[in-house]
Amino acid sequence: MKKALSWKLLLPFAALAAVAAVWVSGSSAAPQSHTIRVAIMTDCKGAFAFGYEYDSGGAQAAFAQYAGGKVKNKNKPSAGMTGITVAGHKVQIVGYGCGDDTVPTAVKETRRLMEQLKADVMIGPLSGDEAVSVANYAKTHPKKTFIIGTAGSQDPTLQIAPKNVFRYHGDGAQWNAGLGEILYKKLKWRRAAIIMDDYSFGWTSGAGIIADFCAIGGQITKRVFPPLNNTDYAPFVRQLPRPGTVDGYIWVIGGTGTAASLKAFEQAYGAIDPKQHAGNLFFAFLGADKVVGPKVVGTYVGGFGTGPGLKTKPAKAYEAIMKKWYPKLPAADGFVYNYYNAAWALIRALKANGGQVGAALQRAMPRTNKSAYEVSDGGVVKLDSRRQAIQDQYPLQVVRNADGSVGTKIIGYVPNVDQTFGGLFKPSSPAPGRSQPKCVKKKLPWQGKIKEVRNGVITNTIIK
Amino acid sequence: MKLRVDPKGAVERTIGVAGLVLLVLGPVIFNDYWVNTILTQMFIFGIAAASLIFLSAYGAMTSLAQTALMGIAGYLLGNMVTQGGAGGESKGLTLGWDPTLAIVLALVITTAIGVTFGAIAARSFGIYFLMLTLTYGVIANYFFGQVTQFGGFSPIAGVDQYTPGFVGEIVGHPDKLYYIAFGAALAVYVAIRYLIRTPFGLSLQGVRDDPARMSSLGYNVPLHRALAFGFASLVAALSGVLFVWWQGQIAPGNIGLAATIELLVMAVIGGLARIEGAWVGALAFIVINNYVRDVELPLIGGSFNTIIGLIFLVIVIVSPDGLMGLWDRLWRSLGRHGGGTPETASVTRQAAPEVSTP
Repeated sequence: MKKALSWKLLLPFAALAAVAAVWVSGSSAAPQSHTIRVAIMTDCKGAFAFGYEYDSGGAQAAFAQYAGGKVKNKNKPSAGMTGITVAGHKVQIVGYGCGDDTVPTAVKETRRLMEQLKADVMIGPLSGDEAVSVANYAKTHPKKTFIIGTAGSQDPTLQIAPKNVFRYHGDGAQWNAGLGEILYKKLKWRRAAIIMDDYSFGWTSGAGIIADFCAIGGQITKRVFPPLNNTDYAPFVRQLPRPGTVDGYIWVIGGTGTAASLKAFEQAYGAIDPKQHAGNLFFAFLGADKVVGPKVVGTYVGGFGTGPGLKTKPAKAYEAIMKKWYPKLPAADGFVYNYYNAAWALIRALKANGGQVGAALQRAMPRTNKSAYEVSDGGVVKLDSRRQAIQDQYPLQVVRNADGSVGTKIIGYVPNVDQTFGGLFKPSSPAPGRSQPKCVKKKLPWQGKIKEVRNGVITNTIIK
Repeated sequence: MKLRVDPKGAVERTIGVAGLVLLVLGPVIFNDYWVNTILTQMFIFGIAAASLIFLSAYGAMTSLAQTALMGIAGYLLGNMVTQGGAGGESKGLTLGWDPTLAIVLALVITTAIGVTFGAIAARSFGIYFLMLTLTYGVIANYFFGQVTQFGGFSPIAGVDQYTPGFVGEIVGHPDKLYYIAFGAALAVYVAIRYLIRTPFGLSLQGVRDDPARMSSLGYNVPLHRALAFGFASLVAALSGVLFVWWQGQIAPGNIGLAATIELLVMAVIGGLARIEGAWVGALAFIVINNYVRDVELPLIGGSFNTIIGLIFLVIVIVSPDGLMGLWDRLWRSLGRHGGGTPETASVTRQAAPEVSTP
């Protein structure tokens, strides 16, 4: 007869397992007392995967320039940095968040960075919906500080607006200030259709163009909403009114969808006439597309809060700084510029308060920033009462460069664009969505004040 | 007659008890991140995976709709409890109803939807059943994304602020949610173990093994399958309520294709044959998913999705029955008393199906 195995013999193994579990969990290191822990949250998958290196590079260039950081690899920002010190304290970049512009991944990455890696500050995120979920997270984690990287959704600083969330650049609506008026005045558009990505940034970006265009008397006759990361745009293009029934089409489609949607339009309605199309900042990236890029030469395009080609001293100085640390990154790209400013603001706050984090850091975060492409008020961006930047904007036009490549040039200057659009968007307004904002006539603060920009120089001519 | 003592069962019970003791003491011995993120997620996703494994092991129905049902419950709860207006939520219906009522409604409505889904799919088997349930998942994902009255592609947030009185506040008290999820997981495990021994459970296993024979014996095969699907929907709905409390927000990405596959991966890693596999698989997946982010392998680099995929591939090749299957085979190869415990269900049809003896 076999003797039954005594379960008591297994108790040591159970004990070992317990010890191992405690050891593994404990190895998520407890924070050292004088290291400031920073996390950079960006995307490495999805429509904005290219942002990973751009964002890390932008933020790290600031650490290199103002905090003594040593870049590990000039061609690969995500390789990291060492030696960052501010106010006598070591600053460690504890991790890079790898989002895919969806909420679940953003939540997981945020928790990993802020709770497992115990970051004190997050610079990021990149994308609209991610920022909405991070802002919601920030509400329940008041001791952590969040400086939005480049996300352009409106809600995080207007409707949600927790005290520990800061944004030193405009939101998607602000970036498009002036474009609607330019389409009305220069192209004589009166009726337009708009097609936008069906998520928070698409809606916010669209809201900026709609508000501007409708404020001066234009009409938006149709709004179409393909999902983000869509691949087949044919059914959505078919929902647009036929050419001839509207004066123009406004495109608010990003990532890999920009070119795909335009190709679908061409297949449905024939060749693209640049006078009948306009886009948000994503049109500016079409320069890299050898097929679609040339087709949109001449279209007017919303800005990114940056001034590529602006010939001012601060702009040139900034571009030289970026070239010094990460020569391969396009300095005037908002993905780089916005993260740079976020990191720079953080460094100044830490210098001002001697390296304290938590609520003390939030008090010390600067309410102004000498952003390189800002011209108003002596080149200073100010934060409003909800910690959101009031920023100059530069509408663009897609042009053919001297060497035959397709790029953009600044054609307008819209001073001091605030997030509320002069009271049109209120904290109690519903967030931009499929039917928000309504098409209303209104006097915006910059209406009739947009200046022409020629060859990178702001003239005194108002656009008529 | 001497009672057969089952050493494997004894070992499993010991490990189970040790595990339970560790988990009860969780907030004391593990660090915050492990308790509030890793282990709480393990409980929540384990419940959803258990619904999948229940259907698969005891009903031969591999369902890809469990994630969708989780999400439906989460969305229903989010729409019902959140309030609009200043300082409130700007997405969804924001009905602002009483949280207790909302939870009951969310569970009831989701179960009703589940029974309907089950009734539609009840006459399909194998790959066709799988495809139907996948369709449910896709429909749910796009429904909540496109019908923006229910939330749209941006998240409905702040759901964790509205908890019933008997639960109290969970924002700022994550350990409370840990114990609630722990208790729910335990309750689900006990409920499933009980259900499979009831007449319904036994006839469900008969339907699993030979639907034609059961039908000729007079059992209503589609009804059994639909009701089993309904039970699994209730379990998935419970998981959805807990999930939306844990994440605080819900977005269509939580019920997308990627999320559906993740749940399937958890169940397969754990082992589709045994209910315990649900939590084992969930823990394994969550831990790997979390810690693999900073790993860089030659050739692959830092693409953690590839690494997770490779790990998954290795586990499935070495042991198609997952980690629990590996455990069972280890015992068989050691040549101890008989095969697995009487409770083990096998996913393949056997000549003499194992039936639990009381």
